[in-house]
Amino acid sequence: MPANLQPVKDWILSRHPERTDIAPDLDLIENRLIDSLSFVEFVFLLEQASGRKIDMTALEVDHLRTLAVIEERFFTAAVR
Amino acid sequence: MTAAAAPGPPAGWANLGMDIVSAGRVRAMIDEHGEVFLLRMLTERELADCHTVDGLDILAVCGRIAAKEAAFKTLRVADSILPWLDIEVRRAPGGWPLIELHGRAEALAARAGISGITVSISHDVDYAVAVGAPVPVA
Repeated sequence: MPANLQPVKDWILSRHPERTDIAPDLDLIENRLIDSLSFVEFVFLLEQASGRKIDMTALEVDHLRTLAVIEERFFTAAVR
Repeated sequence: MTAAAAPGPPAGWANLGMDIVSAGRVRAMIDEHGEVFLLRMLTERELADCHTVDGLDILAVCGRIAAKEAAFKTLRVADSILPWLDIEVRRAPGGWPLIELHGRAEALAARAGISGITVSISHDVDYAVAVGAPVPVA
């Protein structure tokens, strides 16, 4: 996991103290680790951590479904 | 086939949407990121509508957020992000909320076969709730 993705993981964990870890393939949406209200804040955090502006109009739920997908899309791949 | 498995509700049914928003969560969001952060969810005129002579009315903010969520739920769109700024909550002269759809939200409503969305908002102490219903094409 890239070092700048760690704050993202920590942010989720801080809001779910019952969890000690988040598997890379855990569905963050289905498991309600990110809900609709926190979604906006989460995207803001991703922008800060990745250094990339995220176009909300082009964003789909699947782009943020797991930490693995987030890493691939926002922290390792070229901007799409 | 069960009703839940059907592709859509029978004619005349309304796909209701409902949402609840905690003032505590919104307050924490503002404390952490500042009031300007709300402009990711509210348009500038919505945010202006939430200001009173005493400052920002947090429950008014929560009510608008809940209304947008409720309105979006009526569209029954899977795997799509709520187009926050394309669903605008305005106040009618009588005081009740009106939903204005723009851009992507307007397109999603057209695709859903509805002409608009009506909402009702209520709040008490630390929560705001909203329910939305689609307005059928006349």
